Amino acid sequence: MQWKLFADLAEVAGDREIRVDVGPGATVGDALDALFEAQPALRDRVLNDSGAVADHINVLRNGENVGADDGLETTLVEGDELALFPPVSGGR
Amino acid sequence: MKTLNIVGPGAVDLADRLVARLDGRVATVETLPETAARDTDASAAYGLSTDGSWIGAGDGETLDGLLDSLTPDYDVALTVGFADARLPTVAVADAEAAGEIRHTVAEAVEAALDPILDVVDDLEPRITLESLVRRAKASPQADRSGAIATFTGRVRVKDGEDDTPTTHLEFEKYEDVAADRMRTIRSDLEARDGVFEVLMHHRTGVIGEGEDIVFVVVLAGHREEAFDTVEDGINRLKDEVPIFKKESTTDEEFWIHEKA
Repeated sequence: MQWKLFADLAEVAGDREIRVDVGPGATVGDALDALFEAQPALRDRVLNDSGAVADHINVLRNGENVGADDGLETTLVEGDELALFPPVSGGR
Repeated sequence: MKTLNIVGPGAVDLADRLVARLDGRVATVETLPETAARDTDASAAYGLSTDGSWIGAGDGETLDGLLDSLTPDYDVALTVGFADARLPTVAVADAEAAGEIRHTVAEAVEAALDPILDVVDDLEPRITLESLVRRAKASPQADRSGAIATFTGRVRVKDGEDDTPTTHLEFEKYEDVAADRMRTIRSDLEARDGVFEVLMHHRTGVIGEGEDIVFVVVLAGHREEAFDTVEDGINRLKDEVPIFKKESTTDEEFWIHEKA
């Protein structure tokens, strides 16, 4: 599976695309853990103090937000596109 | 309007050959080696014939300014010989260019044109507020429309008198998802009574102080729905479309959400 990263997350990871060794049948959460294995610096940016994905972080699977808790349990299928990014920059 | 720059020996000839093969209205802009001479003290002098044909000469123009003014009216602009322009470029021989060189040809007269036409097909179009307004006016429902409302987001230099000046912003987009979400917003808004066209464009990459970033254009029956819809359009775009902003001031650079 491939993670697409944006903004400061891409900067912290040093890359906009990170490949992880997780296949169809695994969950989004598994893919996220694998991402942290590959890029430990991301853990602090993505997880809150309780170890859950911070509210302001977006986890997308095929362009859709996976949602807070259940979302990470979503099973991956062949060709899924995963993305991780901070809040979209509305700006004032 | 797509813009393509051509540099190197014989670039003018290559441009001429391309004009014949390009679809739509094409404008060419060639570098002039010296001041454009004209026989008047006026800042600009034009000649216009009853058949619509014209000539013009003036001063104070920049390539960017000129291309912006061409954008609503032409489908392709070929700029010839602008080695310093940050535009997608076709290079003849070993000519150098400030812009990204998308294709190289050994020489101009015999060079195959098909690969260059492919480059043109793949180019991101140049968009200005006026080009979107022009498209809105071309709507099949234009004769039902009494109102056009537009929003332009631009790079603000200072938020207050003592604010550290912003030198530029940099925008990154999650391409396909952003396009998808913009399409959704547009079709939601166009479903409203009396709203006929909603057009949006958000530029990416580095955008300098005072430059335009994002446009929303609404063609509607009456001004009430035009105003409401343009406001909702930009608010939803900022809320829902995955675009990320990095700010550079004279002191530092930071992603916008990091400062929230």
